[in-house]
Amino acid sequence: MSLSKLAVRGLLRNRFRNIATMIAVSVAVLTFVLLRTVITSWTTAADYAPKDRLVTHHKVTFVMPLPLRYVELVRQSDGIRLATYASYFGGQDPKHDRETFVSWAVAENYLEIFDEFSVSAQQKQEFLADKTGAMVGDVLANKLGWKVGERITLESGIFPSAPDSPWTFTVRAIYTASSSSVDRSTFLLHWSYLNDALPQARQNQVGWIATRTTDPKRSGQIAAALDQKFASDEVQTQTQDEKSFQASVLAASSTVLRAIATISLIILLIMSLVLGNTIGMSVAERLREFGVLRALGFESRYLVTLIIAESSLMALVGGLLGLALSYPLIERGIGVAIEQNMGTLLPHFKISPQIAAMALIGVIVIGGLVAILPAYQATSLRVSEALRKVS
Amino acid sequence: MSTAVAAASVKKEQPSVQAACAIRLHGIEKSYPRGGERVQILDGINLDIAEGSFEALMGPSGSGKSTLLNILAGFDRPSAGEVTVAGTRLERLSDSALTKWRAGTIGFIFQTFNLMPVLTALENVELPLTLINLPRAERRRRAETALRVVGLEDRMHHFPRQLSGGQEQRVAIARAIVNDPSLILADEPTGDLDRQSAAVVLELLEKLNREFKKTIVMVTHDPVAGERASVIRRLEKGVLQ
Repeated sequence: MSLSKLAVRGLLRNRFRNIATMIAVSVAVLTFVLLRTVITSWTTAADYAPKDRLVTHHKVTFVMPLPLRYVELVRQSDGIRLATYASYFGGQDPKHDRETFVSWAVAENYLEIFDEFSVSAQQKQEFLADKTGAMVGDVLANKLGWKVGERITLESGIFPSAPDSPWTFTVRAIYTASSSSVDRSTFLLHWSYLNDALPQARQNQVGWIATRTTDPKRSGQIAAALDQKFASDEVQTQTQDEKSFQASVLAASSTVLRAIATISLIILLIMSLVLGNTIGMSVAERLREFGVLRALGFESRYLVTLIIAESSLMALVGGLLGLALSYPLIERGIGVAIEQNMGTLLPHFKISPQIAAMALIGVIVIGGLVAILPAYQATSLRVSEALRKVS
Repeated sequence: MSTAVAAASVKKEQPSVQAACAIRLHGIEKSYPRGGERVQILDGINLDIAEGSFEALMGPSGSGKSTLLNILAGFDRPSAGEVTVAGTRLERLSDSALTKWRAGTIGFIFQTFNLMPVLTALENVELPLTLINLPRAERRRRAETALRVVGLEDRMHHFPRQLSGGQEQRVAIARAIVNDPSLILADEPTGDLDRQSAAVVLELLEKLNREFKKTIVMVTHDPVAGERASVIRRLEKGVLQ
């Protein structure tokens, strides 16, 4: 017989209430782990970017376009091995208006720089040969039921089509990817097709220029030199390695990330209230029992330890249950779907050991903290007063 | 002190006057504030209880019997006066020291048994031994011995809900004696029991007093229970008669 055994047996009292509390803790842990995994996956997306790839965009914001002539100027710059460009198309299939996907109008050599796309040589060739051809990710193709050779029509909010000439494409290639950081739901079209169809005032503009450098270690210097080159031109640029570029995109999403982080903490707060309520009720019901223990010679510190141990144990069991549910649900369920559909934004959607440890240690600490007030309540009464309490 | 001893009704063979004092109370007062006034519960109690005696404390409800017992056990403190139990001045001890002292000196038997519902009879009896640095096997052995003394060796692994009231009280007695205390305090130990179970419990208390030389102070309403004690003291309105 020991106090730890007494704490374990304490979980067997009022089983319905204790089990309900442990389930509530497990759901809170599951939600906390999910939200923290979103944050971690989001913030580490940049880590998957190649070190030698630079992105040049408008200095004010990456939403504003650059002149097409910059591409050639960039390509001729010192330290640049390859250069390509793309513009955000913003396409949507009117037949599937609830499905959103990313669509880029890309240059002919786009796939030389973004070589993480995995596509057969024949399909690639057919895509490059057809100006109205499209290359789509396999996840997107499966979702919308597109096959190679299929004719599809898209609408664009950024580049509205003329009423008599809609944006029509033929699916020429379907790509996959080995890395989870590659979004397999992207739609690629030819920039030349877009450019030729635009009014003259909007022609010959690109969203951003992507380059590969000759030496990844010099990427910072090369980026600075590029921006210096356009410093006194009509449009100033900002060049970053892809990791920094993604970090700046991330910074734009920092409010969302902060909101997710706040929600995850609110969930822990709600969990602590549920746990605290259960422990508080349990102690209030057992004041007489604690009086008996003190009558038997147990000092207040034993009772405080017992109550905190009971609370932490309940939190630990709930936390372990939550983690046990999190792994299959997140890593085999939600995580797979997220990696397939949002791989660019949330690559490697896996529970890190740090998150699991944070969740587990967090619930144990919270379990201990919420028990402090009930423990004080249990030990502040005189033994004679506690013995008069009705169990 | 001597007046109280003289006032006691001697029912059986009284312990020798020369016997050492297990309990000595001097000028004990206890009052509580209630509705802006102080209610006097105990009023100038002087009392000596000799080692090895079995005394019953009787009186009507509200006479202060249980309050006096709580003071003897160190559950409560007097408003005034000196309490010496087993040679220790209780009012000088801190709460923590008082608790430690209680663990080694007092065995307490409650009217409502107060067993831990989630522990077996054996574990309940073993509970006070966790405060002593004893090997697990030795704790187990002592708890089993205590249960044998109260005749419950065949109910060791039963939970309180699986025992009758009389059996629960016997487990509580085993818990009270497992630390081998010199003094056993019992608050209405037969109050929740039927006549037959009450008789078994009283026989046990007599046995503990007679064979194991335990000093026993028992608060009771029940005249039949009081008859088992060697000395009966009566308390009325906080004053020993």
